[in-house]
Amino acid sequence: MLRKIGVLGVAAAALALAACGSDSPTGTVSTATDRGTLVDDPPLRIASLNAADFASQLNSSSSGQQLLALAGTPACGVDFYYIKYWTVGAGSTPAPTEVSGALMVPTGSGAQCSGARPIVLYAHGTNTDASFNIADVTNPANTEGAMIAAVFAAQGYIVVAPNYAGYDISNLGYHPYLNAAQNADDMMDALTAARKALPSSFTPATTDSGALFVTGYSEGGYVAMATDKAMQAAGETVTATAPMSGPYALEAFGDAVFFGNVNIGSTVFAPLITTSYQKAYGNLYVQPSDLYTAQYAGGIESLLPSTTPLTTLFQQGSLPEAALFDSAPPSTGNSLLDAILAPPPNNPIADAGFGKPFLINDSYRIGYLEDALANPDGALPTPMAGVPLAASPENTLRQDFKLNDMRSWTPQMPMLLCGGDQDPTVYFSVNTETMAAFWSPLVAGGLISVLDLNATPGGPYAQLQGALQQTEAQLIATEGEATAVQSFHSTEAPFCAVAARGFFSHF
Amino acid sequence: MQTKITTLALAAALVLGATGAYAADGGPNDIRLGVYFVHYEGSADDISGPYVPSGLNVHFDDVTTLYLAYVRTLAPNWNLELAFGYPPLTKTEGRGPATLGSVPFNGQVISTARWVAPSLLLEYVFGDPNDRLRPYFGAGVNYTQFIDRRSTAAGNAVSGGPTSISLPPSIGPAITAGLSYEVADRWHVYASYSVAQVNTKLTADTAGLIRTSQVRFWPNALVISVGFSF
Repeated sequence: MLRKIGVLGVAAAALALAACGSDSPTGTVSTATDRGTLVDDPPLRIASLNAADFASQLNSSSSGQQLLALAGTPACGVDFYYIKYWTVGAGSTPAPTEVSGALMVPTGSGAQCSGARPIVLYAHGTNTDASFNIADVTNPANTEGAMIAAVFAAQGYIVVAPNYAGYDISNLGYHPYLNAAQNADDMMDALTAARKALPSSFTPATTDSGALFVTGYSEGGYVAMATDKAMQAAGETVTATAPMSGPYALEAFGDAVFFGNVNIGSTVFAPLITTSYQKAYGNLYVQPSDLYTAQYAGGIESLLPSTTPLTTLFQQGSLPEAALFDSAPPSTGNSLLDAILAPPPNNPIADAGFGKPFLINDSYRIGYLEDALANPDGALPTPMAGVPLAASPENTLRQDFKLNDMRSWTPQMPMLLCGGDQDPTVYFSVNTETMAAFWSPLVAGGLISVLDLNATPGGPYAQLQGALQQTEAQLIATEGEATAVQSFHSTEAPFCAVAARGFFSHF
Repeated sequence: MQTKITTLALAAALVLGATGAYAADGGPNDIRLGVYFVHYEGSADDISGPYVPSGLNVHFDDVTTLYLAYVRTLAPNWNLELAFGYPPLTKTEGRGPATLGSVPFNGQVISTARWVAPSLLLEYVFGDPNDRLRPYFGAGVNYTQFIDRRSTAAGNAVSGGPTSISLPPSIGPAITAGLSYEVADRWHVYASYSVAQVNTKLTADTAGLIRTSQVRFWPNALVISVGFSF
């Protein structure tokens, strides 16, 4: 009987199914791997917040309240889309790689919230979390996503922000950090994919006005400038750009660090840079221990970005927290070189970059410095007219820095360079001021504007300068100078972003 | 399809060919037509998956649909019932916060599905075949197949885009208890109450991202029907 029951039940169901319907459809999934291909169309909307709810969410935390006060009350709601698209990796024959990013679309009935709207193409700063997804505004750790939503999208700008190759769904296995060509490709491909996604969003009436603003902070400041350079070379329209606190003058910045002016975060930046360049150019070392001390060389190429928290990597001994160089370097017999190798006096920030155990081995640093002295950069140690790049650096890391240094082009569209000369992470003087000197005729002519948020308040951004300086003073008062200085670089980000928005509003 | 039809025919022949005592006033076959009033008692795990906050759940709305059954008398006190319902449109409502971000969620009909749920029940019928009023109870198996699964516009808004819904079929036990009353020669009216167990996994696919909820529910069906014996 049981057998009969089973057969009859299944057979009856099968007959009934033969005449019945099917699932509701999803969107289309592209199988192409061409650059800029949008994988899922329409893309996933991760979240949708109207202006009031967005303001309410920001008001629920002290950091959100500060951001709200700075960015202004949201005029628009924001739809947060997660786009997946194809770009390419780095190197001479870059392979296609699937990556992801954010498309933030303003919503609401306000005049600036629908219709033809300008696009802000935004490049995020250095992130050590391999799972980082700037589109995921539901993640409280995604402060940069919340910042660009509040500053730009909630004020009527469509925002496109790649996660970069090496993050989130990307299986590239590393991040092409500070690789100008790849970074620009990724940005342009994100823009192409986002423009394809816009018409199939929940608000298809919100369209691309054609105005394009490119900006980014820290690593993203560099990426934004590299993107502007690449788009200009490709003949694509960029309305204006605002690179913020980026390491644009890479060769000079690298030399400054090796000369002993070690920046905060250097032990994190070092493996990101060397792995990026080794993967792209293959010219840095035969094995990582040629550059790194034996304690850290093993596994260094796959260390960052990582899903393991940075603090855990420090605790595990995978990376020193601050000691980039040897605090007791060997004598070389060259008094000038020995003086450079020693920890710098009266510079507590740089001094923290020396210790034991340390990351970069002594012989590599000595070799780098010998080349920097023999083939100096035009910005330092002795400034030269026009701050040119070194003519013929022999150290391969310096060669790679030179290849990716932004002193290699001349902008044709308006640019705001924002930063702060108290920034202990990405030095304003070595990077922004070097670029300003390199482009001094454009600065004098007004095409390029330079904003130092730590300067005496004055001019169109005086209010922001005053506000930042007040915030930094409060941080020092409440958290102590050492702790406050550690966070200066990230503290400045929203102030520069609001300055960028003000700059863009003129076009 | 040919295999399905052959299998069904074979299965039907096995049932129809069974020997047994006829009902006193008719043949061994009984066709019943009526109404199912279905209430879903059940629970579902919170929806899990990418970008899903905690505390999201679902609820199935009650439905009323057409009841159709074939009953074969196997012996004076034993029946075999194959019960169908016209596939009802079942609505799934969101349960949880009023909104997700700014998108309405709680109480929104986020998906619909029709389901084919035949039950095969072996029933013991009390009393004598000549009695006008005869209580019965039975137990068997229920097979539930969800069809025409659709995410609504509200569901798409909650999920973040066009969404496909998957609900795999379920096989579970079913029980019933009821009364039959002879109203005329060959004609009876029936009232019964049945419960089946359905276990399935609701899977929503939006732009390749999968969200799931394990669903366990027990459709409670009150049936009022009329039967004709031949």
